[in-house]
Amino acid sequence: MRVSFTTELEQLRLQVELMAIRVDQNLERMRLLLVEGDLSIAEDAYRADDEIDAMNVSLTERCYDLLRREAPVASDLRFIVSVLRILSELERIGDLALRVIKLGPERHFIVSNPPTYDILVAMASQVIEDFRDAVRAWATLSLDLAASLALRVRPMDLYYERLMAEVLRLESPDAVPVAVSTFAAGRALERISDHAAIIGARLRYLITGDRDHLTSEVR
Amino acid sequence: MTDSINETLSGPAVVPDVTNTAPEPEEHAVVFEARDLNVYYGDFRAVRDVNLTVRQHEVTALIGPSGCGKTTVLRCFNRMNDLIETARVEGSLTYHGIDLYDRAVNPVEVRRHIGMVFQKPNPFPKSIYDNVAYGPRIAGAKKDGLDETVERALRSAALWDEVKDRLKASALGLSGGQQQRLCIARAIAIEPEVILMDEPCSALDPIATGRIEDLMTELKSRYTIVIVTHNMQQAARVSDRTAFFTAEVNEISDTRTGILIEFDRTERIFSTPSDERTEAYITGRFG
Repeated sequence: MRVSFTTELEQLRLQVELMAIRVDQNLERMRLLLVEGDLSIAEDAYRADDEIDAMNVSLTERCYDLLRREAPVASDLRFIVSVLRILSELERIGDLALRVIKLGPERHFIVSNPPTYDILVAMASQVIEDFRDAVRAWATLSLDLAASLALRVRPMDLYYERLMAEVLRLESPDAVPVAVSTFAAGRALERISDHAAIIGARLRYLITGDRDHLTSEVR
Repeated sequence: MTDSINETLSGPAVVPDVTNTAPEPEEHAVVFEARDLNVYYGDFRAVRDVNLTVRQHEVTALIGPSGCGKTTVLRCFNRMNDLIETARVEGSLTYHGIDLYDRAVNPVEVRRHIGMVFQKPNPFPKSIYDNVAYGPRIAGAKKDGLDETVERALRSAALWDEVKDRLKASALGLSGGQQQRLCIARAIAIEPEVILMDEPCSALDPIATGRIEDLMTELKSRYTIVIVTHNMQQAARVSDRTAFFTAEVNEISDTRTGILIEFDRTERIFSTPSDERTEAYITGRFG
């Protein structure tokens, strides 16, 4: 029995969850800033993002170290490769949340057009839900949840479509700045939801080892 | 300008088609076919119901914990078990469709086609030259072609450059890794079709091990190789197919019988094994 190796894998799994919690907190900050406009949140978010980046680096190093030392095979190998891939998804999601937060100074444009603003707020809540499903799938290694993340018709796509339709209807004198900042926020939110779905899709191969799942990741 | 850009864009795609990166490789011809193979030592059943296909120009690895019968199975392939008086083989084991255990089959002839390399290098206490020439001489090789045969075998075993100036020196003066390559040269000097290897690197250092592993990859274009190894990474590196054996403990008689758990392409065994016992063994969570 390779007890210490098994323990290290378990620790790695928990550390990834911890990193996901940090990302989750930043997504929550992003939503708050959008809803309440409290710009002081941004400072905390920047700090948290630095922490997320540092975790990404140190956990990536840990994976390399385990590959080098333990020459893992079978589910252990699939697990470590999955961690490496999920780390970059988490880091990406963190960056996208920050992109929305950075739009803080332009929030008055975003809020000024209620039809698009309401959709953006709904998208922010949806994105947090999607992300939490992805983290839950990771923590429980639930194939059902991973499959539903990968395969479901995403509410996000519908929101995004409606958002674009509303943006095109803008006619006010400041339509251009409103459109630009609304589009930037909407696009980032849509990407976050997509990255959450990718986490689900990748989990399926980790859980089953079925090559078809690997193929379906390519899209 | 625009035209040339459009031309470039509509030109033949340079992106390679990667939609089907891992097609099933072509199946090589069958060399050995074991069907419900059982091996007994007296009343004791050492190996039970093994079904296994060894294919030409492939390296087939047999892995599993100690006492799981993998060496016993390997020794069936060239009737080495005949040398143990109480050993008995049941079921069928064919070599190119011929029943290896048919009464009419001469075990000495079998071993001429199916050579073996053992765990510990075991050169004869003779010169390097005589070690390699031993088999061909017994097989009645004429003296004038012998130098070439020896050279060819030593070259194939990647040993020629190291020993060409001291062919008359004792083989026992060689290093362990060189001795093992000499044993491989001795095995291939009689032009067998199959080389069986029983943990050929277990007594060697990492550099000598690397040499032998490279050699296996080279040799498989001309020979068929079956190897027993305890080194999981070695099996993953050198073999095309892997058979995972384990032992079944009989509580009443307190004996262990080897069974074949999973046999598949090596990359599948080491990335997505289908039996949880294989998974437990290769990931080190056995027992």
